[in-house]
Amino acid sequence: MALADFAVSLLTFVAIYGLFALGLNLKFGFTGLIDFGHVAYFMIGGYVTAVLTMPAQVTGYDGLGGYALPELLAVVPGGDVLGWLLGVAGGMVAAALVSLLVGVPTLRLREDYLAITALGIATILNEVVRNETWLFNGPFGIRTVHQPASAAFPLGLGSFILNLVVFGGLSVLVIAYAGYRVGSYVKDVDTTGAALGLASVLVLGGSIGALTQGGPLLFVGVGLAVAGVAVLREAVRRSIEPERTLALVVALAAAAWYFLQPLLAASNPTVTLQTNVMFLFDPVAGPNGGLDYDRFFMLLSLAFLAGGYWWCQRTINSPYGRVLRAVRDDEDVPRALGKETFRYKIQALLFGSALAGAAGSLYTIHLGFISPDQFGAMITFFAFASVIIGGTANNAGVVLGTAVFWAINSGTQFLNDYFPSEYAVKLAAARLIFIGVLLIVILYYRPEGILGEQDYDIRLPGDEPAPSRDDTAAAPGGDADD
Amino acid sequence: MTDDPILSVSGLEKTFGGITALDGVDLTVDQGITGLIGPNGAGKTTFFNCITGYLAPDGGTVEFQGDDVTGNRTPSIVREGLVRTFQIPRELENMTVRENLLLAPGGQSGEKLGRAWLRGGQFAEDERRSRREAAEMAAFFELDHLLDEPAGSLSGGQRKLLELARVLLTEPEMVLLDEPLAGVNPTLERKILERIHELESQGQTFLFVEHDIELIMEHCDHVVVMHQGQKLTEGPPSAVRSDQRVIDAYLGEEI
Repeated sequence: MALADFAVSLLTFVAIYGLFALGLNLKFGFTGLIDFGHVAYFMIGGYVTAVLTMPAQVTGYDGLGGYALPELLAVVPGGDVLGWLLGVAGGMVAAALVSLLVGVPTLRLREDYLAITALGIATILNEVVRNETWLFNGPFGIRTVHQPASAAFPLGLGSFILNLVVFGGLSVLVIAYAGYRVGSYVKDVDTTGAALGLASVLVLGGSIGALTQGGPLLFVGVGLAVAGVAVLREAVRRSIEPERTLALVVALAAAAWYFLQPLLAASNPTVTLQTNVMFLFDPVAGPNGGLDYDRFFMLLSLAFLAGGYWWCQRTINSPYGRVLRAVRDDEDVPRALGKETFRYKIQALLFGSALAGAAGSLYTIHLGFISPDQFGAMITFFAFASVIIGGTANNAGVVLGTAVFWAINSGTQFLNDYFPSEYAVKLAAARLIFIGVLLIVILYYRPEGILGEQDYDIRLPGDEPAPSRDDTAAAPGGDADD
Repeated sequence: MTDDPILSVSGLEKTFGGITALDGVDLTVDQGITGLIGPNGAGKTTFFNCITGYLAPDGGTVEFQGDDVTGNRTPSIVREGLVRTFQIPRELENMTVRENLLLAPGGQSGEKLGRAWLRGGQFAEDERRSRREAAEMAAFFELDHLLDEPAGSLSGGQRKLLELARVLLTEPEMVLLDEPLAGVNPTLERKILERIHELESQGQTFLFVEHDIELIMEHCDHVVVMHQGQKLTEGPPSAVRSDQRVIDAYLGEEI
């Protein structure tokens, strides 16, 4: 398996769990609701979407539905996708409604009781789904999950060269942009980013050379050398802060692994390298190559994540979000200022659960089947770990935390290759230990998470970006905490 | 109309288990500054909690500006125009002074979830108005240079000012002040009192709990004395000062 395939799978998971964690962050990070039952809404979203979109009367399925929304709407052009989206919306609404039923009695409890009650309710809901076979087929689950627009894939654009240029070019642009973003994060100077971008382009040259039987190692080596030298020179010259240097080192290590590993290890280096560089382009999909369904689904999930992120940001950067944070910090204060805090808590719970529902829909499609076993309480705590690692009350941090969490959890699977197979089970346990240690280290040394709480800015049309806010935002994160 | 009291409480009762904290308190408050004094445990804070909805009274009625608000929930009482400060200032320490103040103005359309998502309508206008009001109030309390500091970095006295400023931004008819001057240095104390008088002259009503009797005598138009959950007496400061029952209640201390 090329690393690109792993990266695609990882990014899909990060997008799905990122959306899930954004929902949790809205409840826990911004509103202070410790919802240990968050996974219940993930499950409900998944099941409801599956049932709404799957075909009717499937053999081996004895539950409700399916309601085949995509087929019903297929009469209009694009109707099957619309039907699927309606299914997702249905999952979100169902998750929100159940959270309303849970929230009305429990949100009046003190926060620690709320946590425990929520955990109990999530467990009950899971048991109900497991035991009530008429509902969603009990422990056997659903194996006929509708995959949106799957008939159109692999998506080709006619000729091989066109596919190569469009999908391959897009991939390289993404790599270059990622390099640029890392560069500009590490130092707010564009030269480093530009150097990384240039290196990526050279890597593209290398892979094209590889395809045309040139000397790929030379091109890639030159590209990485240029990037490495440029970056390290910048880092030393500008005495970059430790955390940014760490980000740089992580990014470089990931890049080196991604681009060099195929050359060193795989049996067919040029093909593997091409797959890694042009990660969106699959030369053997369809007659002329193209975009396969896994990659499409990754893009779809990332689009959902981006939408959820934007939506959360808009919610938080508003007077509404201000009240949410006030509720989190001391609920009596907004009450004493005339705010109906209960309404805010209920709405945050509904909205956060709806996001979890959307994540559940995507998760179900990605796996292609759904059963109660997938929704143990562990999933909630994975999301809590992601939120705490990345930064509580920081939407970007939560996505970062999810990426770190799943990169460690999935990435360390590669270690299995280097150990005798009888250690596989122990390695799996060691992974969890490692994540636990990471969590303890972060809680001890940086309790606010990698990025800490985010900055807030309510932009009004026609305003300069509020100058006062920029002053605080420009100050290094450490200052505000001391 | 001006003769009607702003706040009218009758027969207010509250017990905690076997302890009777309020034992039928009758009280009316008119426009101006009214002082509320009494020894520790006289029931002053419970009285505040009962009329502002933090506790449900066991009996009696509370009328505010002619409306019966007995047992109403705090947010709705606040929106009617009756607000309180806390004995220990409750700042949101992680939020800036500005954000603390911006929480206060009522009727901000951006505080509705739908409006926060869609923007438009009154969203920008309301937020600008709130920012302007917050900045003006901060200037009034000489907090304007601290607007972007986290409220947790303020000194004790500045917190008292912020608390008062925040409460006033709700545009109340009447403010219950629970020991606004405790632990405040004399300079700041004078500043706060000046502000209160200034606001009083603009028609604001205050009910003022304070342990410093001299201060109450000097600054209040009317003084109410509570003792053991009941109103002991009330009247102009000079009359209350010489009332023998008041002296007895304070354990014979000359006041």
